[in-house]
This record gives sequence, structure tokens and C-alpha cells, in this order.
Amino acid sequence: MTKEEIIKLTNKVFEDAFEIDPEKLTPQAKIFDELGLDSLDIVDLIVALQKQFKVQIREDERVRTIRTLEDVYNFILILKQEEEKK
Amino acid sequence: MTKYDHIVVGGGISGLTAALLLALNGRKVLLLEKAPHLGGSLARFQRQGIPFDTGFHFTGGLLPDALLHRMLSVLGLVDDVEPEFMASERAHRFVFEADNRVIEMPCGIVPLRQKLKDEFPAEIQAVDRYFDRVEKVCAQTASMDLTRLTESAHRLDEESISLKDVLDGLTSNPLLKGILCGLGMCYGVKPSEVSFASHSRVCYDLYQSTARFKGGGDALITAFKTAFNRLGVEVRCSRWITECRVGADDHAKSFLLNTGEEVAADSAVLTIHPSHILKLLPRNHISKAFVSRVESFEASSGFFTVYGVWDGAMAPGFGASIVSLFPNANFEQLLDPSYRGEQALVICESVEPVRGAPRGVVTAFEPSFYEHVAQWGESTIGHRPAAYGDYKAGRVEAIRERLAKFNPEYRSGCRILDAASMLTYRDYLNSPDGSAYGIKQKVGQYNLIGKLPVRNLFAAGQSSLLPGIAGAMMSSFIVTRAVLGKDHFNRFVGGALCN
Repeated sequence: MTKEEIIKLTNKVFEDAFEIDPEKLTPQAKIFDELGLDSLDIVDLIVALQKQFKVQIREDERVRTIRTLEDVYNFILILKQEEEKK
Repeated sequence: MTKYDHIVVGGGISGLTAALLLALNGRKVLLLEKAPHLGGSLARFQRQGIPFDTGFHFTGGLLPDALLHRMLSVLGLVDDVEPEFMASERAHRFVFEADNRVIEMPCGIVPLRQKLKDEFPAEIQAVDRYFDRVEKVCAQTASMDLTRLTESAHRLDEESISLKDVLDGLTSNPLLKGILCGLGMCYGVKPSEVSFASHSRVCYDLYQSTARFKGGGDALITAFKTAFNRLGVEVRCSRWITECRVGADDHAKSFLLNTGEEVAADSAVLTIHPSHILKLLPRNHISKAFVSRVESFEASSGFFTVYGVWDGAMAPGFGASIVSLFPNANFEQLLDPSYRGEQALVICESVEPVRGAPRGVVTAFEPSFYEHVAQWGESTIGHRPAAYGDYKAGRVEAIRERLAKFNPEYRSGCRILDAASMLTYRDYLNSPDGSAYGIKQKVGQYNLIGKLPVRNLFAAGQSSLLPGIAGAMMSSFIVTRAVLGKDHFNRFVGGALCN
């Protein structure tokens, strides 16, 4: 999966599942401060991303360091790369 | 408008636990139950004066220092209930009919491990690796130690791997796999769907010991009620919340009850089914992601149950026992809703005092799924169509034959007084689908536990953490800790365990 595809599908999760204005979805956007998610939304975000990308995501250290949309894209990219290696 | 510190919604074991924990910490608590009485599936019912268990037949964790025993100690109820251990090997048996093998399940992981090595000499390594991993999961599970509770548990590798995958990696012996899957009846999810972590947490305490309470679940409910009276917990049955009134700050300001009364509380603990929680949360306060997560939860299995009484002299050795008949060892099939072949059957025998005399009581249940009864799903108690009656009579007859095949004395000795389907459970227990264990605990799933999008509402219950009485109670311990604050709660638990 290319990074472009990941960006497109991730943004769709934020648009559809969290009803966030697509114009706000820039890579630098901070998901907590600017996109309005809070710590309780993290589990819902994980579940929505799991469904969208058909990957298993654990609520581990890597998830806790996510701050911006770019962080989400890179996180999914790594997961997808790990999956391909298996 | 009456104001409470906390409202607890749902009077099953999880709600009883949360209400008592809060009251023990000096809080003013209102407990709401939709049914006319407390206890949910823990409560017993009577037919012709004979007491029967609705949904609580046996549990692990009642040995001193085991999890359930410790939770009852913290609640101050441990001396109010008397465990009846099923200690003899005959008391807990798996019968694999196709293989013609009976496995008597000893109490304790050490003897069970040895027993399976003796039964399967070529699988010694597989047996050891299985039990090592079960023990490792439980040792690493913070919530299994009351002094180390946490809401966001560190997720183990075993949350992401299914029971089936673990067993396939250990052995190719189908019967051994079947034995290790046998307690799947106690959580109602097939091996390819349940995480090895959930399986281990349910099985660990059941491997160590199996027990029931003398007097059944009613004994525990009575103990809770006595404590509620002492501590001033207000209990209202046939009452439920119809509307949460939520402010702009995402906090519930008040709650409207089915009577039209409005009550307020600092917070509420919802121990009801996740789909019922979803209905209470106003849509403008939750994300579509949250809705879709809750809607994606699936139902665990339930049971079709017959209730019988022994009329003649009880067979020798009749007493507290559990026998599980498995037509084959393929639990993928036995726990699949579409499977229509011969079902597994769990037979629980007990001796109950009835009007001063001991009577042999039998509850026998086979796995069932809502799909089996969905065609009559619109009907309600007392208004079922004739075809449903035919279905029920057919299942009763099939179970009667199984019982007679298992022990020919059943044919003349045991009289079946009543039966319950998934619809019976659904309607008496106000559950959406009559499943026995709430939602399926699936690999990689994130359940609903703790703080909800409406910030002063919290989710608990057996769907939150782990099926069964211990899992349901544990979810309330974790959530009460979040409500009261962890330092306060840890001091309380530490103090209670020292006493």
C-alpha cells in the first residue's frame, strides 16, 4: 500500500467516523488540539483504523506517541510494512 | 429532584458489586433494575417448589486467595456464602462421545497437567506449553490482582492471537485440542474467534477449582441485600433510565426514569448491555466511530436449557456435579450458529433441600444462538406462536433422549418441569439477544469499559471485560476505582484485604 493510499483512507476515517471537516485534515494537524479528539476517542480511532486497513492495532507505546495526522499515516505505513514482511 | 452521589444501572452481579463498593466508601447510591427483582441471571426461580438456577451454575475462584474469594472479602460478603466445591474427579467430567473417552477433570492445574500427560503420552510437551502459557497470561494480567487494577490494561501478545492458532501450534491431536477447548462453554465463543488471553483468564480459575454456592446465586443476592440495607443503598426494581440529559460539557446533568421522575447524580455506572448503553447516549455527544464500534460487537452463545427433578431414589453418587457431553471434539463446529447436528450438552446435578427433604435437581443445557429463534423474535412471554412451541418441545425431547443415553436411569427417574430458550432468557433478563455471556470477546477487540463519551457515565458488566461472575464483578472493581480515584480505592482494597 502506498503512502498516498494510506493518507486517503486515513483521512476518510477522520471525515466519516469523526465528522471532521476535510479542509482541516493536513499532515501537521494535531489530532487532539486541532481535530478535537480526546484521549477517550483513541480506542474508537484504533478500532476504526483496524477496520479500514484490516490490521490489528495494539494500544501500545507507539499509539501513545501519536500527535499529528502525519504520525497516524506513518504508524499505519509501518504496520502495513510489518504485515508484508510476515 | 433527588440527588445521589452515584446511580448504578442494572441489578445483576456487576451492578450489585458496583453499588456495594460505592456504598462501602460512604457514597449515596441509587441502584436501578429493570426486572421486578435483583440478581439478573444470578437469581434462582422455582417450579413446583423446586429451586432452579437461571444462569449461574458453577464458578472458579472460590479457593482462599483466589480472585472471586478476594473480591467477596473486599465486599465483606465472604462469610455470608458457603462454597460447595466439586472436588472429586467424578464431579467434573468431559465425555467425548465419538471417541468414547471420558476425561475426569481433577481440581488444580498441577494434577490436571499431569492427568493430560498420562492420557496423552505423546503430547507431554504440548500439554506443558499450553498450561505454561495460560499461567503466564494470568500472571501478567493486572486485573487479576486486586491491588494492581488498571483500566487500560497492558495488552499482551495473547490478546491478538486466537485459541485455535495457539492450539494448532502446539499439537495436531484433535481430542487433546477438544479437551483444552472444553471450557469454551463457559464463554460461548469458538476457538478461532476467542483470544488466547480471554480463554486463559476464564479457564485458569476453573482449572484450579469448581464450586457453586450453597443455596445457589440467591445466597449471594441475599448477602448483597443485607449489606444494602445496612449501608442505606436505595434499590428500585422495575425502574430504568429512559433519557440522559447531557450538558454542553458532555456531562449528564440528570436522568429521567420510566416513572417520569427526574433524578441527578455526580456519575452513573451502566452495567447494562453495550447496545442498551448506546441507546442512552444522545447522538450529538458521541462520534460515529463510537457508534460503529459498539454496533460491531457480536453476541456470544446462549443456551437451550431444561430443568428437571429426580422423582425416584437418586442414583448412587448423585450430587453437585457437572458433566459435559461433546458429540465430537470440534469446537469450531459445536460453537457455530449454523451447526444443526447433535449439540454439546452440559448436565449439572445438585441436591437441594425442598420442604425439609433433599431432592435431586438437574439443569441440562446445550449451546444455542439467537439465529435459532430469530424467526419468533417479535413474540413476547406468554404470546409465542405455535411453531415456537413445537421447536421448544423438539429440543426438550432431544435433550431427554441424550440424558437417557448418558444414564438410562434418567428415563424413568427424572421429570422435566420446564425449559428455556434464548427468547426466554432475552425476555426475563432484558438482554437484547438472550446470550449467556453478553458480547463475544473476540481477538483484538476493544470492549466498552470505564469512562464513556458522556464523561460522568461509566460502562461495566460482563461484556466489558470477561464473561462469568468473576469477570463481571472485576469490571465493577475497575470502574469503581476510576470513579473513586485510584489512591482512595487502593487504600480501601488494601484495608479490606487486611481485615
